[in-house]
Amino acid sequence: FVEERSGVGSVLREYGSEQNLLSKPDGSASFIQGDTSVLAGVYGPAEVKVSKEIYDRATLEVVIQPKVGMASVRERAREQCVRETCEAALLSTLHPRSSFTLVLQEVHDDGSLLSCCLNAACMALMDAGLPMGRLFCGVTCAIDAESQIITDPTAQQEKESRALMTFAIDSKDCSVMMSLTKGSFSVKELQQCIAVSQKASERIFQFYRDSVQRRYSKIL
Amino acid sequence: MDAVHSCFKDKLGQAVLPGDVFSFAVSAVEDSAVRAEKVICGPGLRRNGDEILVCKSGILRHKAPNLYWIDSQQKRYVPVKGESVIGIVTAKSGDIFKVDVGSSEQASLSYLAFEGATKRNRPNVQVGDLVYSQFIIANKDMEPELVCIDSCGRANGMGVFGADGLLFKVSLGLVRRLLVPQSEIVKDLEKIFPFEMVVGMNGRVWVKAKTVQQTLIVANLLDSCENMTAQQRQTLFKRVAEGSL
Amino acid sequence: MIDDAGGTTLVRAGSDHAHSGHCFAAALRAPVRSHRLAVAALHRLALAGPTSSHGARRNSATEGLQKRVFTATRRVKMRETPLSNCERLFLLKAIEEKKRLDGRQAYDYRNIKITFGTDYGCCTVCLGKTRVLAQVSCELVPPKDSRPTEGIMFFNLELSSMASPGFQPSRQSELLVTLNRQLERCLRNSKCIDTESLCVVSGEKVWQIRVDVHVLNHDGNLMDAASIAAISALCHFRRPDVAIQGRDITVFSPEERDPVPLSIYHMPICVSFAFFQQGTYLLVDPCEKEELVMDGLLVIAMNKHREICSVQSSGGIMLLKDQVIRCSKIASVKVSEITELINKALENDRQVRKEGGKFGFAESIPKERITALKREQAPVEMKDIEETADEIVREAEAPSEAVHSPVIVATGTGQVGEGLQNTWGLEEEDAEEEFQGGMDGKEKKKDEVMVISDSEEEEVVILKPEAQKSKSRRPKN
Repeated sequence: FVEERSGVGSVLREYGSEQNLLSKPDGSASFIQGDTSVLAGVYGPAEVKVSKEIYDRATLEVVIQPKVGMASVRERAREQCVRETCEAALLSTLHPRSSFTLVLQEVHDDGSLLSCCLNAACMALMDAGLPMGRLFCGVTCAIDAESQIITDPTAQQEKESRALMTFAIDSKDCSVMMSLTKGSFSVKELQQCIAVSQKASERIFQFYRDSVQRRYSKIL
Repeated sequence: MDAVHSCFKDKLGQAVLPGDVFSFAVSAVEDSAVRAEKVICGPGLRRNGDEILVCKSGILRHKAPNLYWIDSQQKRYVPVKGESVIGIVTAKSGDIFKVDVGSSEQASLSYLAFEGATKRNRPNVQVGDLVYSQFIIANKDMEPELVCIDSCGRANGMGVFGADGLLFKVSLGLVRRLLVPQSEIVKDLEKIFPFEMVVGMNGRVWVKAKTVQQTLIVANLLDSCENMTAQQRQTLFKRVAEGSL
Repeated sequence: MIDDAGGTTLVRAGSDHAHSGHCFAAALRAPVRSHRLAVAALHRLALAGPTSSHGARRNSATEGLQKRVFTATRRVKMRETPLSNCERLFLLKAIEEKKRLDGRQAYDYRNIKITFGTDYGCCTVCLGKTRVLAQVSCELVPPKDSRPTEGIMFFNLELSSMASPGFQPSRQSELLVTLNRQLERCLRNSKCIDTESLCVVSGEKVWQIRVDVHVLNHDGNLMDAASIAAISALCHFRRPDVAIQGRDITVFSPEERDPVPLSIYHMPICVSFAFFQQGTYLLVDPCEKEELVMDGLLVIAMNKHREICSVQSSGGIMLLKDQVIRCSKIASVKVSEITELINKALENDRQVRKEGGKFGFAESIPKERITALKREQAPVEMKDIEETADEIVREAEAPSEAVHSPVIVATGTGQVGEGLQNTWGLEEEDAEEEFQGGMDGKEKKKDEVMVISDSEEEEVVILKPEAQKSKSRRPKN
């Protein structure tokens, strides 16, 4: 059965990013979506412990640190999502027996934290100059009680939604690299959210391009 | 020929991102007059079947006749054969020295790879010394190896150095700009006061000037011209030159 | 008392720091009021100055120390860039000429920048390139048995893996323990927060204030940055308002009643001094390279009323009495400057929040830097969404039907050969017979799943892939 749905009210919050803001990591970036803010630092290719080395590719380690308290299962689940996305995007066969370490620090959580982590991770990996086959970005969609689709929800909107989905979209053909969903929704709603995320991701990729353009503007 | 280069032309000098693809429409027309093109892909570009894939973010550069590469800013060094780097000796084990070059693995330097070194006449290298050497083996599958002699067996400026002077780290992009044959940055710096400089492609730079103060000034100036346009840099250097006189 | 024999045994194998080894910390329980009392206390700590006869012996001892220490450091911190001899010599020579790497004077601090986040109690401090993030949070807990009328303060400092390649997630690092202890000593033992005011119901419910400090970038002097961040965050924090009626406690949310600030008596701030050449030269606020070549470190925690809250000296160097007193005088000047900075930052933040302007980290992105970029809020086009989604759903393959009573192989058992056909002849028939019998019995239950495993207890449901439908359901061993 078909539900009438109006597509208004879906916005991407104000976003911004800064690259190369830490002096020690090889690459660093901070990404801000509305009030949610994540800081990412990347080391690599660096030495790896013999027990963890892989003979033909690089070992990617992702650490997500919450602001308050110790890392728990929720952070491990998010680390898994980010790691899978990054491994699909990085060309890790170019650096066997090395390690790439990605550390994400949550600076403030006001909803859409996982997609903010993904965006910060992508900008940090670009800043570090690690070889990547494609870029990725994260978009969160929420379906509220009136079955409206909200992109980039705040923490309040997330709490009141009946379904919450995060997608990692890649830059080459706008396909879904990773998805994490919570709540109940129909197949049609899922496809609509994916389509919305793909539209939103175009904007974010354009933002990546503008940032890089601006960064190299002084050397051009 | 133009088909190939025209794909690149509109992006030349612009910032490109990983995942950007340059594909060449291989024409179905069998024209015997058309010869096979050779396009040399430099750092940051990879061949992917019939396409060329960009794998680092940066500016697309071109050198006639057919060399393309991505000019990117990076801090971490990846060993490449033939490049000269500044290494720090970290261990002496048996016949080789272990040298840290800032990459994912420590490089090895044989004690016989110095000018005039024999089994009886070992070079005087201590742990913690600086060596300027070049890579003889550097690929992703093997441990990198360094030597301090060139193919004729002469040192040619390589070896242990740096009893005085200051070592500091800059980004790889700045190092490449310093090593350009007629580097503007070096020329501007020379006008301020005389100094000695060793530049390693792994981002390490060693400077020595007459006094400690001048050495520090040179080091700080090099650090700061990372993100400056040529004009800002010249005004800064001029101000410093007037200040120090 | 430390004698020279003790001095040469300072290096423990596997120690993280080049200079740590002998740490003697003097924690003064309450802030010392008059400066003269402080002097007397410090005199007890500081040892008599070095005599000339000790000097020569100590030089060779230090050299041996340094060489052994270099190898020890190298073995442990594999991932950090080693310090070359040339850098070490140059730094020491520069310090003798009173020059620092970044052009500061010996007693100068680096640029301190303090920003506050959107919610109360969140603060980022940038001391030069060292960056630290602090967050204060609170919750209601039962109090400790020994102190039923006091709230609880909990401090946790973490060295994030992004701060330095040498920081691994292992918890045993000596630097981590030192920083945590010093932070606790500085903030808890100095009684800067009125813990009695944190009591809600005596003996039953008190506020536990938790301070989490994350080190984000290590460029030297983590202690000072952490203490500034912690005390700024505590001053910035607001806890929920509480109303008590008899035995009923009502905690108001921030929307119902404005949250209440903590009651803070004074603001203790740590100031670090690095010593070189056996105490001859001292530098305030060492950067990372200076920390690698220093002989010893003296940390004085003080507040702006010139009260010393704690003193810690590490590295085993011997300090003269008047050296320590000079340090405390420098510290009092620095502390008053830093306290003013913190108060100004707090005042700015208060103004912005009152006027309803934008605040938080989003506003502190430097817009004029070429490495930073911002975009305004933007709507997402949703016009064609429904059609695209419908098309995708229509064109997608129908999901595979649910297979009744699928046969699956549980963990612990294996399949032999490719595909699902068992080619073991005899066993096939036996197994088939067995399972035929089993299947007949179970066919009545439609959604029953048949599991082939050694254990009788497992119940596992697995969706069978499409390809299996064509082949007969044969049990596999």
